[in-house]
Amino acid sequence: MIKELLLIFIGAMLVNNFVLSRFLGICPFLGVSKKVDVALGMGMATTFVMTISAIASWAIQFYILEPFGLSRFLQYVSFVLVIASLVQMIEMFIKKTSPNLHKSLGIFLPLITTNCAILGLALLAVNKGYNMIQSAVFGLGAGLGFTLAIVIMAGIREELEIADIPQGLRGAGITLLTAGILSIAFLGFSGLISM
Amino acid sequence: MKAWKEFIKGIWDENPVFRMLMGMCPTLAVTNAAINGLAMGLATAFVLFCANIIVAMVKRFIPNEVRIPSYIIIIATFVTIADLFLAAYFPEIHKVLGLFIPLIVVNCLILGRAEGFASKNNVAYSALDALGMGIGFTFALTLLGIVREFMGMGSIFNVSVAGQNFTEWVIFVLPPGAFLTLGIMLWIINSFSKKKMEESHCH
Amino acid sequence: MAKGVKLILVLGLISLFSGVVLAKTYEITSPTMREVAMKNQQKAIFEVLPQIKEYKEFQNEAGMLIYEGLDSDKKVTGLAFIAEGGGFQGTIRMMVGLNLKTKKITGYKVLEHLETPGLGARITEDSFKKQFSAKSWDDPFAVGKDIVPITGATISSKAVSEILKGSVAKVLEVYGGEQQ
Repeated sequence: MIKELLLIFIGAMLVNNFVLSRFLGICPFLGVSKKVDVALGMGMATTFVMTISAIASWAIQFYILEPFGLSRFLQYVSFVLVIASLVQMIEMFIKKTSPNLHKSLGIFLPLITTNCAILGLALLAVNKGYNMIQSAVFGLGAGLGFTLAIVIMAGIREELEIADIPQGLRGAGITLLTAGILSIAFLGFSGLISM
Repeated sequence: MKAWKEFIKGIWDENPVFRMLMGMCPTLAVTNAAINGLAMGLATAFVLFCANIIVAMVKRFIPNEVRIPSYIIIIATFVTIADLFLAAYFPEIHKVLGLFIPLIVVNCLILGRAEGFASKNNVAYSALDALGMGIGFTFALTLLGIVREFMGMGSIFNVSVAGQNFTEWVIFVLPPGAFLTLGIMLWIINSFSKKKMEESHCH
Repeated sequence: MAKGVKLILVLGLISLFSGVVLAKTYEITSPTMREVAMKNQQKAIFEVLPQIKEYKEFQNEAGMLIYEGLDSDKKVTGLAFIAEGGGFQGTIRMMVGLNLKTKKITGYKVLEHLETPGLGARITEDSFKKQFSAKSWDDPFAVGKDIVPITGATISSKAVSEILKGSVAKVLEVYGGEQQ
């Protein structure tokens, strides 16, 4: 049981890293990775939403869609709506209960709705037939993997700011090349465990 | 004249991938072969076209507060339609694109055009805009797919073109190859064009 | 309050409309989808058991999907079953065929995989597959011993061997167990 959860966790975080090998959540990865502290905030907010939406989509799938045989054609619409409203609710809840947390995470929450990693995670967890705890662990691992990737990226980009880069390569170009090299490094994790 | 401008801008000047950096996830994920890039581009263009037209048609009736959720429902509906049709009539392509078909829903290119263009323009212009953007997106994905497939497997559209002595650079069809190829392409494009890239990330 | 009601009404209407459109689309496409799934399965079974004329599902308590292949005299000569396991990047699912008379594997067909194109994906190519056809199911199935792995894709090669080895034993246990 514990071993299986650990496998799911490591698999989602390192072996099949959402950003570097599954290409989910590329937009924030390229857009919000200029400063380490901002990247960390974004990563934390994403991890939080990922874990909760993994549980929520599990509940929708097994208590609403499947019993009524709707999952083949209403899955996407319902998941995307649930995630959008979940993000909205979390934002309102944090704003009321903890203004400090809202100050640090709040600005990232609206951006998360269009982060394809969240919907991708929900669909993957359902496809793999995970139960509630497995889904939550999968979400947590994927979120931490995303955080890891975006923070490493931000660290490199802070250094790149002062580097002498050819004119045409500045901006997106050098970021993509850096991501490519990072991705090669993460390739080393494949085969670490069999999924 | 304006109509022509709305159509043509998406193909190069405001190309969603090369100039605006939109829809990066599918761009990087499915372009390990030319045919996959083409199929993904066409599926996205279909959804973009339908969603843009419907949004331009119904925008008057939708209150501002529920604008985004309404657009998302419209987009998700068309994505599901595309998914079901691909599964029924093109099962091979459906299998390859896999998870990335549902993710067209959150492709910021589509929501971005619905929100940024269709909600402000009439149906005809929205259709032309979607058509141009769709062709631009498909062109970019196919080009990436051709380059990666050629470098990585020595073939284009599954037809072997490189000679026997060609050593495949397998890295190009692996995940890192996606980042590297697009990075180098952007480098080339930026070096030759005077206009600066817009970098309108989707967040 | 009127504003709130309007918001709910609009969203509700859009959702309703979307639901109706999707249900209709599903109704149109689902027969074709089922047909495609059926055809694929049929094709896979006949590919791994070329000697059979027809097949039927074998009911068992373990809940495994096993098909019995019948020859022209309606005698069971082979078994086909779906086996899956972890590969290099994702699950590998394949249809495996067994010849009950010769106690050999007749072959396998990969139904789903996420292996690297050009490397691990070669598990679907004949040059690798033919190592397993006509292999007795008591053989060790060890990469490096009786299986030559694909260059640069040892993990994928190992995965296929292990899936075959493990699933054949399991199927024989279920099938043999209920025959007696």
